[in-house]
Amino acid sequence: MAEKICAAPARPKSCDLCEVRERSICADLSPREFGHVEKTMARRHVAQGKAIMAEGEPNDSLYVVTGGSFRLSKLLEDGRRQVTGFLFPGDFAGVRATKANAYTAEALEESLVCFFPHKFLDDIADDAPGVKDRLIARGQTEYHKAQDHIVLLGKKSAEERVISFIYLVDKSIGEDAGSGKRRVPLPMPRQDIADYLGLRLETLSRTLTALKREGRLLDLTRHEVVIAARAEDF
Amino acid sequence: MKPEWRKYLAVRAPRYTSYPSALHFDQSVTREDYADRLSAVELYEPLSLYVHVPFCKRLCWYCGCNMRVENDYGRALRYVSALAKEIGLAGCRLNGAGRPRSVHFGGGTPNYLLVDEIAEILQSIELEFGLTDDSRLAIELDPRLIRDDDIGRLAALGFERMSLGVQDFDPSVQAAINRVQSFEMVESAVGEMRRAGLNDISFDLLYGLPKQTLASFADSLAKTTALAPDRVAVFGYAHLPSALPRQRLIDAESLPGPELRADLAELADEMLIDAGYRRIGFDHYAKPDNALAVADREGRLRRNFQGFTDDLATTTLGFGASAISAVSGLYAQNEKSLAGYYDHIAAGVLPIARGVELTPGELAVAAAIQDLLCKGAANIAPALAAVTPVEAGQICRNLETLEADGLIAWGGDVVHIEAAARPLSRCVAMALDPYEFNNKAKSEAPLARAV
Repeated sequence: MAEKICAAPARPKSCDLCEVRERSICADLSPREFGHVEKTMARRHVAQGKAIMAEGEPNDSLYVVTGGSFRLSKLLEDGRRQVTGFLFPGDFAGVRATKANAYTAEALEESLVCFFPHKFLDDIADDAPGVKDRLIARGQTEYHKAQDHIVLLGKKSAEERVISFIYLVDKSIGEDAGSGKRRVPLPMPRQDIADYLGLRLETLSRTLTALKREGRLLDLTRHEVVIAARAEDF
Repeated sequence: MKPEWRKYLAVRAPRYTSYPSALHFDQSVTREDYADRLSAVELYEPLSLYVHVPFCKRLCWYCGCNMRVENDYGRALRYVSALAKEIGLAGCRLNGAGRPRSVHFGGGTPNYLLVDEIAEILQSIELEFGLTDDSRLAIELDPRLIRDDDIGRLAALGFERMSLGVQDFDPSVQAAINRVQSFEMVESAVGEMRRAGLNDISFDLLYGLPKQTLASFADSLAKTTALAPDRVAVFGYAHLPSALPRQRLIDAESLPGPELRADLAELADEMLIDAGYRRIGFDHYAKPDNALAVADREGRLRRNFQGFTDDLATTTLGFGASAISAVSGLYAQNEKSLAGYYDHIAAGVLPIARGVELTPGELAVAAAIQDLLCKGAANIAPALAAVTPVEAGQICRNLETLEADGLIAWGGDVVHIEAAARPLSRCVAMALDPYEFNNKAKSEAPLARAV
């Protein structure tokens, strides 16, 4: 079971340095709204393996990942875990306040989140109507993640499932590696990818090797793949 | 056993691996109904998968399963490709929803198929439904068909539970049922399984077989405990030659009578308990550290088409001829005949032949029967409220009789089966079953004795 973090939140002096702000998450907010939001939010470092949200426990904050990555999972009744998705910078969690989280979100690496108590977001709604909706409009939420997952699981070949997953990660955290290539970090263990894709570890390994051999992966290391840039990247 | 319970020994009772039992399925359930339920399965809904392999090398005369003796492996290959198509048809409906937590290969004889074919079926399942490294894979094996590397290769595929059809070790009993397999053969299979790291080996034993005596069965049980399987299932042989013509090959004269049957069942119970097994439900035994025993201790025991299980999935998808699926209050059974099954698959449609959609009353009775069989106790108030007043009255009268005979005791609305009466659990379940008491007259359906 993931241990819930309990560190005193550090209030940022400014969001100016925020890396995901460049990705337009807060960009739709007016300066006035932004002033409100900035006051109600806090930034927090999350150590690898620590949870920002734990299944079954209450949550009253909206989280946005600003650095690192998280694994979403649910415990099944028999104690087995189902990996349900991954959060990358720009992704949201805890879109609604709840008495019992439907899943756990654990940091896959040293990560950074900003969080906004729902109560404060509701309080400023009079002055900044729809601020919450606009805050999350550009990012991906747990609902998008569920949609992604069912699309991946609906693919009927291991190759398609794996390559679609890599494209999905590329969209979130892929980097231009020059010469028409994209570097796609894979911060999660292979076992998490296998569980997420409904494949057995051996099938995943075999498939990755085959994709490399066929040239669909230009390079493959433990925590990174290199793929050719696709038309939609330009 | 108490003298006043002896009369229950001759009662013929359903096995209640489902309620209503498959005997009451009809054509009111169509493949469209089943397809609709599949489409409604939720994203992470746990699934229990069953794959039926209907082939055997030889005919066992006691067998009540849907099987055929097949000597042409080409026909088995045809079946495997039909299975892949059927798995694809269900996969299209699920469209990524549902997660298999377990896959069980039963038969017939699953290891009639070579390991390559079994791997191919698993791969179809992995690509259509998803498999994870913690999905539990189980397979029933005929020790006579285990080839050199089979056990190691099956273990490498991820099979962590293997079940051996032992039935009885006595050579004269084996000859009388046409299933001759030496102790050494079973011993060597168990040895290979242990070397492959398996810690969930299961034996099926049968009592009530021709030529069985207390002494011969005691010897079979001693051989069983010496090999120390992790689970033992002890089923009563159901001699129903009018329904199963192959059973006419068994000499009825050499069958044990009802008294001896009861003594054989009691002997198995005593010897297995003495050897340290925990009694699970009414016909399973498991070592205390086995997953089934843990589930029983923690009140998680369930009953599905394979018998008692720790599998928590309530949605079962069956594949292959005669396989039964259970999805949200609907049972659907595939075509039993291979010809019919192939016709459907060739037409690209789910091979559903019949089934039943449970009414609220049947759902309530099913839940009470599940609790009675798995936990030895059930709150029957919801069932009484859900059936018709006439049926509720009959259930109460049935239970009064059982109470008078000391099989059950009441605690509020909860019926408790007396510990010593657990082998008669199916008789208690039958008291709640309107199919049984409504249709007594026409119910010449072939049922096995309760013990």
